[in-house]
Amino acid sequence: MKNNTESHDESAHGTHITSNKEHYSTLAALLLLTVLTVSISVFGANLRSLTVATAMLIATVKVIVVAYYFMHLKFEKKIYTWLVLLVIVLFLSFLILTSIEYLNR
Amino acid sequence: MAATTELNFFQVKKGLFSWIFSVDHKRVGLLYLYSIMAFFLVGVILGVLMRLELLNPGKDLMEAKTYNQVFTMHGVIMIFLFIIPSIPAVFGNFFLPIMLGTDDVAFPKLNLLSWWIYVVGALMALSTLLFGDGPADTGWTFYAPYSVRTGTNVTMSVLAAFVLGFANILTGLNFIVTIHRLRTPGMTFFKMPLFAWALYATSWIQLLATPIIGITLLMIVAERVLGVGLFDPSIGGDPILYQHLFWIYSHPAVYIMALPAFGIISELLPTFTHRTIFGYKAIAFSSLAIAFVGYFVWGHHMFTTGMSGAARIVFSIMTFLVAIPTAIKVFNWVATLYKGSIDVQPPLLYALGFIFQFMIGGLSGLVLGALASDVHLHDTYFVVGHFHYVMFGGTGFAFFGALHYWYPKIWGRMYNKTIANIAFVIFFIGFNTLYFPMLISGLMGMPRRYYDYLPEFHLPNMISTYGSWILATGLVLMLGNLIAGFFGPKPEIGRNYWGGITLEWQTLSPPPLQNFDKMPEIPKGGPYDFENNY
Repeated sequence: MKNNTESHDESAHGTHITSNKEHYSTLAALLLLTVLTVSISVFGANLRSLTVATAMLIATVKVIVVAYYFMHLKFEKKIYTWLVLLVIVLFLSFLILTSIEYLNR
Repeated sequence: MAATTELNFFQVKKGLFSWIFSVDHKRVGLLYLYSIMAFFLVGVILGVLMRLELLNPGKDLMEAKTYNQVFTMHGVIMIFLFIIPSIPAVFGNFFLPIMLGTDDVAFPKLNLLSWWIYVVGALMALSTLLFGDGPADTGWTFYAPYSVRTGTNVTMSVLAAFVLGFANILTGLNFIVTIHRLRTPGMTFFKMPLFAWALYATSWIQLLATPIIGITLLMIVAERVLGVGLFDPSIGGDPILYQHLFWIYSHPAVYIMALPAFGIISELLPTFTHRTIFGYKAIAFSSLAIAFVGYFVWGHHMFTTGMSGAARIVFSIMTFLVAIPTAIKVFNWVATLYKGSIDVQPPLLYALGFIFQFMIGGLSGLVLGALASDVHLHDTYFVVGHFHYVMFGGTGFAFFGALHYWYPKIWGRMYNKTIANIAFVIFFIGFNTLYFPMLISGLMGMPRRYYDYLPEFHLPNMISTYGSWILATGLVLMLGNLIAGFFGPKPEIGRNYWGGITLEWQTLSPPPLQNFDKMPEIPKGGPYDFENNY
């Protein structure tokens, strides 16, 4: 009984094979971004108040890369991308609302 | 589809181990029911003890510190061990797969694991009674910086809440995947019962909000154990940050508690009015709307903390938005009753009790959502009255309504309906006698969580305590009647005792292990199409 909708979804979902090249490229990108984060922090690029924002920006790019390639979001149906975006919107809302409170205190 | 079987799910296997290691969603649901009811009764006893202490001003029964610990344990048990898991873990587990026409949840082993995690978390919470300075005395909110400084067992209490969160997350995950992937052919989203819609909205909150409280509670532990300055201002922390993090989860958690109850009411009303529910899609979408908007209103718990004026105005406005989808539900329920062929049975009484009390709870919530009035009423008994009307008068009544509704389906037996009606009346009177005076004493200015009070608050407190005795009497009578139903003569229950048309009424009572002995038929006009099915 349960298999009907499931098998339907599976067929729509399809299978995919990710090449080694893609995996290693992703890994290289992540390592590069990590080196960049550490470099900015250790070697003290003079970013002042933008230091944290820069680190957050790089981390965000890394999250997107991991979700898109390593967690296979690239191969999923669009609805899953929308769900991930929904979670990001929620998270940003928490940050923004809390920041409104903190900055106006 | 399994072959037709004569054996129901109770008869397939016997013995304790066949239950505590069962991956059958029905057995897991019942494991949750028995555990949750046990903890609920502990919570009730603690509540009655609190009311006894407050019968008269001054010390009656216990010391001030003990009182603080009792109300904390009462809150922790009732919130984390009863209300949050109650309807999803018990009736969601048992009935969601059956209502969708499938044979189990998507991840049966995770389902069993969630119950085990629940038991471990519950034992951790109760273990705080046994060592050190006893249970936490912070209130269930564990507000910093007091929770960082007190010598009572806060660390174990918050770790217990942390562990219990995993049980919730697993249940939510299971339900989302089950609803997306395991619906029987023909069961489109808009042919799902509204209980399934309510569980779907709830599950998203469980999945997305629970990790936030988990991390927050770990931060309390880090602060207590390692002295990290996160929340305690004396070491550089920000106590308001704790409240933000706590309520970012705990306000949506209010909807984890309330949304499944809305789903139950949406099941009970069509069955006992014998008509299609009014505004099916409006009710379905309002569940999602409540779940979504509920994420953005947490600041109304913090109006008097010293947070910024701009944020207070934003949160107050957002809070009023939640009232819209909630009111949509209530109007649709009342419209369903209008010109219905009403059959007054015990489950319907609980549904009507729910609507009446939830209205009081909801409207008093608007008073608290309004910034100007909340500043006066914050941390008074008005808040205590309000949330008991919502949580107990709402979700609690829906839980017991569901128990009366699905009792013949789960156990294939029946309770005495006359006694059930009498128990309801006593329960209802007791509830309102207990909690309505709290709204009044709160308006008079009586602060919550105080061990002692001024003489002018004596009368409402005395009435409340009498109410607690009436409520407890109704509860004992109700549970005694339900338990007696197991041991009395076994009447012919049949498949469809109440005349409902959702899929659980097409199978045997109790259901077989695979849920259905024949392929269920989906009503063409939707799950409440009484006009064409009777």
